[in-house]
Amino acid sequence: MIRKLYMKPAVREFLRILLAITISLTLGFIITLLVSEDPVGAYKAFLTGPVSRINRTGEWIKEAITLTLLGLSVALVFKAELFSMGAEGQMLLGALVSGTISLFVPLPAILRIPLALFAAMLVGFLFGALPGYLKAHLNANEIVSTLMLNAIALRVYDYFLIFHIKPEGAGYNASDFFPKEGVLPTFIPNVPFLAEAYELFSRRANITIMLYIAIAVVVLVWYLMYRTPFGYELRMLGANMKFARYGGINTKKTVILTFAISGAVAGLAGAHLGMGIHEKLIANITIGIAFEGIVVALLARNNPVAVPFAALAYGYLRAGADIMERSSDVSREMVLVIQAIIILLVTAERVLPIVQQRVNNMRENTKAEAIEEGGQNVI
Amino acid sequence: MPPIIELKAIYKIYPNGVMANKGVNFSVEPGEIHALVGENGAGKSTLMKIIYGMEQPTQGQVVVEGLERHFHSSRDAIDAGIGMVHQNFMLVPSFTVAENIVLGQEPTQRGLLNKQKAIDETIQISEQYGLRVEPKAIVDSINVGMRQRVEILKALYRGANILILDEPTAVLTPQETQELFLAIRKLVEQGKTVIFITHKLREVMEVSDRVTVLRQGEVVGTLPTSEATRESLARMMVGRDVLLRVEKPPAQRGRKVMEVQRLTYINDTGRSVLNDVSFNIYAGEILGIAGVEGNGQTELVEIMTGLRPSTSGNALVNGKAVLNKTPREVRMAGVSHIPEDRLTNGLALEASINENLIVDRYFRPPYKKGASIDYKQVAELGAKSIEKYGILTPDGELPVASLSGGNMQKVIVAREFTSDPELLIAAQPTRGIDVGATEFVREQLVKQRTDGTAVLLVSADLGEVMSLSDRIITMFEGEITGVFPDAASVTEEELGLYMLGIKHQSKEEMEELL
Ligand SMILES: Nc1ncnc2c1ncn2[C@@H]1O[C@H](COP(=O)(O)OP(=O)(O)OP(=O)(O)O)[C@@H](O)[C@H]1O
Ligand SMILES: [Mg+2]
Repeated sequence: MIRKLYMKPAVREFLRILLAITISLTLGFIITLLVSEDPVGAYKAFLTGPVSRINRTGEWIKEAITLTLLGLSVALVFKAELFSMGAEGQMLLGALVSGTISLFVPLPAILRIPLALFAAMLVGFLFGALPGYLKAHLNANEIVSTLMLNAIALRVYDYFLIFHIKPEGAGYNASDFFPKEGVLPTFIPNVPFLAEAYELFSRRANITIMLYIAIAVVVLVWYLMYRTPFGYELRMLGANMKFARYGGINTKKTVILTFAISGAVAGLAGAHLGMGIHEKLIANITIGIAFEGIVVALLARNNPVAVPFAALAYGYLRAGADIMERSSDVSREMVLVIQAIIILLVTAERVLPIVQQRVNNMRENTKAEAIEEGGQNVI
Repeated sequence: MPPIIELKAIYKIYPNGVMANKGVNFSVEPGEIHALVGENGAGKSTLMKIIYGMEQPTQGQVVVEGLERHFHSSRDAIDAGIGMVHQNFMLVPSFTVAENIVLGQEPTQRGLLNKQKAIDETIQISEQYGLRVEPKAIVDSINVGMRQRVEILKALYRGANILILDEPTAVLTPQETQELFLAIRKLVEQGKTVIFITHKLREVMEVSDRVTVLRQGEVVGTLPTSEATRESLARMMVGRDVLLRVEKPPAQRGRKVMEVQRLTYINDTGRSVLNDVSFNIYAGEILGIAGVEGNGQTELVEIMTGLRPSTSGNALVNGKAVLNKTPREVRMAGVSHIPEDRLTNGLALEASINENLIVDRYFRPPYKKGASIDYKQVAELGAKSIEKYGILTPDGELPVASLSGGNMQKVIVAREFTSDPELLIAAQPTRGIDVGATEFVREQLVKQRTDGTAVLLVSADLGEVMSLSDRIITMFEGEITGVFPDAASVTEEELGLYMLGIKHQSKEEMEELL
């Protein structure tokens, strides 16, 4: 029975992550013990910080939404055995385009917001297709090309922000706040019987409808990956490129499309930064988060359905770390160390075999039984 | 003399619940050549991996030279003097032959690999056992025959006394097989013990002293080879009488399906691999290509199937140009292809069996419904193929990697046969599959041809080419050297002369017959 449960990949995956988190949190605590005057207080801030106040919880969820989109973006590329560092550029352009529409296009919210989101995805799609094209037709290394395209996107973003978007004469590099028509609405509708909750969230933890959009994108990406012909092509490309080609799959097209779709999702994440989090365009808007999609995708093993959970868990760590840094004597560096340990453990392919060995040993006793039954699926 | 290896009541259950060995008793005498035969999935490789410490038995004893052993890894087995060459090679492709051979026990000089010493030792061991290799060649660039010799030398270099060869001849040409057998005999003369797995019963008869037959994880029997016949072994393996000859109704040649015209291919290094090759394939016939491996057959097939661009020439399927088109376009023109290297091209190992079966059809009905793939249809196709082609697995959702070698081949065969082709290009279609499955694939090939499919058969197994083909062409160094319109009336010796380029028909002679 235990063995049967253990065989279920989902269960095994869950156990694996749980174990890794437990080990790393223990290690983290030991480190905190060594560096802090008040280790318990510091660690408590780390562990419970994100849920200690409603606004902190809001920050955590909002970051998790960004991380979910970024994780999906990277998971698509990883699943095809490709690599991309391009989220930063795609996000910047997504934020820029959606922000411009939010600020300047005189349409009512009901049109302005969808237009802005769509434009962000489109620009992400096109900008994402570029490294795909370079990879497919010129065999350009996608890590290098995406990083270089990031640099270009950054210049473009800064140029427009500084010379065209920021208010004239302002002494800072940021746009005005977006008008109400250009900001994503709160995830709770403003209807009478939800008035109290609406009030609470819109004022103190402004989680937006991006929450629903992100969930929809999770479902869509899952569907795309596991149910559509394109998803099949993408996965076969990842499993064995030569097989894909032999079987008649247009591998070049698949590579380009994979990068493009990944870019569209990252573009949407960029729109969320502007329209959902900062409510304006600022310099360095992607700082600190652009490459985190890689971690999330690794944690989720490129499984789109696991991505939001990985994003929540990882977002929690990031939020907790921030709070610990602010409210205790533990330095940011130590916090990063703890984070790194967790990532390392959770993503390490090595952990599973160790657990498996253990389970095998545990099963020693039940072996004789199994043999008498003639194995499970004797064929 | 006490046995050098003795397995007592070995059980092996894989984590997925498959019981690969069921109470196997198996013993090997020192200095013998012991053949191990059995159907695909009978548990041969598993049993050998247990001896080699790669898999641990679920229950049972492994006794080596009188001592009970518990190998935790192959390193332990190597230390006990056991070496194994796997069904799928495990060399480092970017290393040289010598580096691969000494890998793990490198002669070093100040902590660095002593290349010259590695080369010298390679030459020495290669001469000692009569296994020719080029020490300085990069493994990626050498042919399978030499790769295998490298694998064997590697095991010997590590001090193997007992050598396990898992289907060593599956990838070899007949000539290379003969060389291998010579080497095996030499090894035994020098006191080694050899266990080898094969599906070719002729080889069992030719080289082994004793033979053990496995069926569905159990030993059916061990007997001296002198008391066995091919027929009796086949019966023991399969549990019924097996037709070792192919029954073939006379060919009804139909219309021309494929035309290959003046095909030339010059590879990246400037070598002319195919030179002015022309021939036709007709509906309802099997055209066999006989040739020693490496004379352009591989490239010919790759060009015909869109996997490789040609330098010049023309190829038409039902009048439609297919040269330098994409593999998809070639397939849509009605061509299906069993590739010679199943692991490189034919399969995606981590993908499921079902998903491997649809790579040529996932994008069209009934497998595509609306915007998505209808996975119910896919599962149905999977279940049908598993049943009809006897793929040994509990579930089509399992990854192909969990199948035995021969069952992997059946997945490919199932896919390519069920695509309802006009032209079937079969390269080494029975490589690595058991007598029962070989019989099945051959029957199916003949059935396809009798039903009006044009079949191009490329095989290193001359016996296969001769018994299946209606018409045979021979290739040598990228050129067609002869064409034999009546495959039944030509002898092996005659073909051999053309395959080695010793005899050559003139263009005029061949023109009519191609
Ligand atoms: N790693 C594995 N995990 C799960 N099942 C396995 C694994 N390896 C082999 N099997 C299963 O065990 C059975 C025996 O496989 P094995 O590879 O020993 O067969 P074999 O006799 O070598 O066949 P072949 O002639 O096709 O190489 C098969 O049913 C196979 O699917
Ligand atoms: Mg095997």
